[in-house]
This record gives sequence, C-alpha cells and structure tokens, in this order.
Amino acid sequence: MNASAPLLKVDGVSKQFGGLMALSEVSFEVLPGRITGLIGPNGAGKTTLFNCIAGVYTPTKGRLLFDAADGARRTNGFKPERMTALGIARTFQNIRLFSQLTVLDNVRIGRHCRTSQGLFGAIFRTAAQVAEERRIVDEAMRWLSFVGLEGKAFFQSSALSYGDQRRLEIARALATGPRLLLLDEPAAGMNPQETASLVGLIHAIMKEGVTVVLIEHDMKLVMSICEHLVVLDHGMKIAEGGPRDIRENPQVIEAYLGRGAAHA
Amino acid sequence: MNTKTLLRNALLLAVLAIPLLPFAGDYLLHVLTLIMVYMVLAMGLNVVPGLCGMLDLGFVGFYGVGAYTCGLLTMNYELSLWLILPIAALNGAVWGILRGAPTLRLTGDYFAIVTFGFSELVVLFLTNEIWLTRGPLGLPGIAPASIDLSWLSKAINPEWDWYWEFIGEKPYFYMAFVMVVGVFFMMRRIEDSRIGRAWFAIREDDLAAASAGIDVQIYKVIAYAVSAAIGAVAGSFLARWTMFLSPDMFKFWESFLVLCMIVLGGLGNMTGALLGSVVLIAMGELLREILPRLGMPAETRFIVYGLIMVLIMRFKPSGFLPKIADAALHNPIIVELRRSLKAKGVV
Repeated sequence: MNASAPLLKVDGVSKQFGGLMALSEVSFEVLPGRITGLIGPNGAGKTTLFNCIAGVYTPTKGRLLFDAADGARRTNGFKPERMTALGIARTFQNIRLFSQLTVLDNVRIGRHCRTSQGLFGAIFRTAAQVAEERRIVDEAMRWLSFVGLEGKAFFQSSALSYGDQRRLEIARALATGPRLLLLDEPAAGMNPQETASLVGLIHAIMKEGVTVVLIEHDMKLVMSICEHLVVLDHGMKIAEGGPRDIRENPQVIEAYLGRGAAHA
Repeated sequence: MNTKTLLRNALLLAVLAIPLLPFAGDYLLHVLTLIMVYMVLAMGLNVVPGLCGMLDLGFVGFYGVGAYTCGLLTMNYELSLWLILPIAALNGAVWGILRGAPTLRLTGDYFAIVTFGFSELVVLFLTNEIWLTRGPLGLPGIAPASIDLSWLSKAINPEWDWYWEFIGEKPYFYMAFVMVVGVFFMMRRIEDSRIGRAWFAIREDDLAAASAGIDVQIYKVIAYAVSAAIGAVAGSFLARWTMFLSPDMFKFWESFLVLCMIVLGGLGNMTGALLGSVVLIAMGELLREILPRLGMPAETRFIVYGLIMVLIMRFKPSGFLPKIADAALHNPIIVELRRSLKAKGVV
C-alpha cells in the first residue's frame, strides 16, 4: 500500500437536517499514521461529520472514500455495522457502553464482526465454536490489558470510573479490528492525570497501526498530539493545517473568540 | 459452586420422583405439567423482551400457531408428535419472521402494539376460518402422544411390539420435564454465545451495538424466530396433552401472564423465567380455590396478578433474578480465565 495514499477522503460532504445545514462541502484527507484532530466551537458539526463517516448518517451531498483492506471504496450510505466491518471504529461523545454487561463482555461484543459462529455452533458447542470463543476471549483480554483494564474484566461496566469507561469504549472499538479509529471527545470529563495517560494510550494505538482521528475541546491535548488539524465552524471547514498554523490562523481565533479578537 | 451443582441435581431428582409418590394424584401432576408448559413459554418469550429488549405483548400468538399446527396435523394426517414438533417449531419460526421483518424499524410502544395486534389476528383467524379450524367449536379428540418403535422391535423380533400411548398425566409430566430441561439447556448455551451477546448488546444500546459491528435487524429477526419456535413447541405439547383446542385458549391474557412471569423472575434471566412460572401458576391454582370461597369469581385472580405487578414494579423493579448474561460466567473458558487472572494476581 502506498504510505501517502489517504486512508479516508472526505470530499465535499454536506449534511442537511430539514432547513439546517449541519455540514456544507467539507473536504479533507486522513493520512495513515498521522493523528488528525477535528476541532471547532460547539455546534460546528464535528460529531455530525463523525456520524457521516461512521455510517450513522448518509451525507446529503459529497463522497466518502475509505481505503479498506480490500481496496478503496465509496462508502456513502453504508450502515454503521458495515463501516465497522470495513475497518472504521468509533467511540461516542456521551459514553455508550453495554452498561449491565461485564467489562469483558463489552469487549467480546467488539469481536462480533470478525467472527462467524451461529445458532448451531452455539447449541451444540462444536469444536470450531469453542475454539472461536477462546480466540474471542484472548483477543478481548489483549485489548483490555492494552488499555489497562485487565484487572477489571469482571466488573459490571457501569461500575467503572468515568475515565475507565472511556478506556473501555476504546478497547471495544479496537477489538473490532479497525484501520481508522474515531474518538469523539475522549478526554471529556477526565482529570489531568487521566488525560495524560490518554495521550500515552493514543500513541500506543498509533503504534498498533491504527490511525486516529479525534474530536477534542482540550486544546492542550489537541496541540500536543495532533499532527494535522481540521477546523469546522457552522458546518464549514474554515482552516486546515499543522497545530502551529492553526494556532495563528485569524479565522480560527475569530471562530473561537469572536470578531475583533484576531486583531486585538 | 459445587454445592450449587449438587443442590440443582438434587432438585432435578426430587422433581423426577414426584409422580412416584403416593399422594401425587392426577391433579398435582396436571398442575406441575402446566407449570412446566409455562416454563417453556416463559423461556421462549424471554428471548425478545429479556435478551433483546423489545416489549412483546403477543407471544401467545405463536403458542396458538404451534398448538393448531399440531392439532390439525394430528387430526388430518395422523402424524406422530415427534415429527410434528420440528414442523411446528419451523412454522412458528416462519410466523415469527413474518411478524418481525416488517416491524424492524419499530421500537418500544409501537412494536408492542404490533405484537398485540398479531396475537389478536391469530385468535380471529382461528375463530373465523371455520373450514380449517372448526372455529369456536374447537378441535376435540386430538389423539394423545405416543412412542411408536414397533418398526424397530418387529425388525428384531416379530413378537415384540414397542408401542406406548401416553395415558394419564405421568408420561406427559416426564415429557414436559425433558422439554423444560432441553429448552433451558439450549437457551443458556445460546445466551452464552456470539448470538446471545449480540442480543444483549441490542438490548443495552442498539446504536453502540451497530457500531460494534452487529447487524441489529438480522439479530432481531433471529430472536423473533427462536422465540416463536419455542412458543410453537409448547403449543404442540399442549395440543397432544389436553387433546382439545379452542381459539379462546389463546387470548391476550395468556401473553400477559407469561410476560408477568418473566418480569417477576427478571427480564433476560432464564432461571428467573422458571421461577416466575412456578410462582404465578401455583398462585393461580391457590386463588382458584380461595377466591370462590370469598364469594368472588375465579377470574378475579387477574386483579391479583395486576396487584403483584404493581408491587414488583414498586419494590423489585428488575425482578427476583435481575442478573443478565449469567450463563457466560459459568463457561469453562471464562472460569479458566478467572482462575488464571487470580493466579497472576491481576484481579
């Protein structure tokens, strides 16, 4: 695979809800191995864009091109489970765990799209089914220790601390075997210590060969780990570039601080 | 853990021994068999609201489909029950899919209304399609179940005739027992599998389930099919046990009663479904005795059921056994993992 070929190409994507233009003509590329940050004020359309990429929404206009393991393809209108199978995993802004299930089961469910046993195997516990279940457990435990939750495998997931719940969501997403991981405000509600260890975790994820795109409001975090930033405001891309350029971009400053701030 | 297994086996043996006791008359055996029929129904219904989180108010429809499938095949074609069981299960599953597929986009109350409508349709069909079902006259004189192995015994020795007809309550009691154990065993295994986990995921959060790669619609359809098939199996048993069927045996009240059982036991817990059946049927029989003595018609027991539901919602909203995905914890793979984590000192 050509290393510089984009993993994901967002090409002129618009999303309209009734009279509201949530996204208009947004274009950018996610290169493999480069952490991309998606920033912008509240209501800028960041999560809507994630939902378009992950298949929850179908874009009204534009193209989404994802370089899946078996070649690039246009993914407009694919359902979420199909996007997951192709290799895009995501976490949610407001954590969505299977709260009454154990931590281990949450991650085991992430293996669903990479496994295949059906009713017959389940009822008769065939050798193939047992072997598959064993692999699922091994994989799940690997990702749990990767995020540091190995010791809490049998906790009910709702009993975890907020930071641990975020980590568990990441483990579940990683268990689906993605090439691209979308993190929606992973540091929201975390204390400085948890945020610091999140930075380490994101770098470790990149080392596993998974490319990360993240939405984040914590500018210190964004500026320290993202190599490339895309700034949205009112559904439009207003800037794109390295952290240094973005910090000094007058349009970005205006979007965050209001008109006049850039000239102050 | 070990004492638990011992206790369970002792309980199973005790149940098996009941028909041999001197005081075990037909009435007691009949009630116990009825409890076991409802156990199967409750486990079947539990798949949809319990494992998948979709409120189903029309489960009795599949019970009716199964019962009439069995009744009609017995009366018109004299098929053996052992052949009818898989046919009825398949027919139930087909109706489960036919009901489920068009309603996939419905959630919550809207889905519940459709399920309710479906079971009413089944009753209307059974009542009005007289050419097929004899309508309100019902199907009397369905042959009892039998085990016919004469083809085998005759082949070995022409003198032998291995043919037993089910007479009285005892054989049905044992058959129901086998059915309950079989369905329970099957459900626990499905619950602790890739499919069961997908169902629980849908129950907990369907968007997160889809994002974890689960095709929510397909797994809902599988749940409807499995649930309906189990309901139909219970119906087939009923047909050959009571030897009489009529449309009013499949009224809405039955759905409500079975739903009460799983809510009482704990939605999504198969052991809870068994417990709920024991409690509600035993109580129903007691009330049938007590209420007339208090000068009230036996039907007033439904008021008591309603009262119980109110009390449960108030004091134990998740039922007596609220734990879900319990079977997974007893899977040898998981037991082994726990032990190794403990040995490593991680847990």
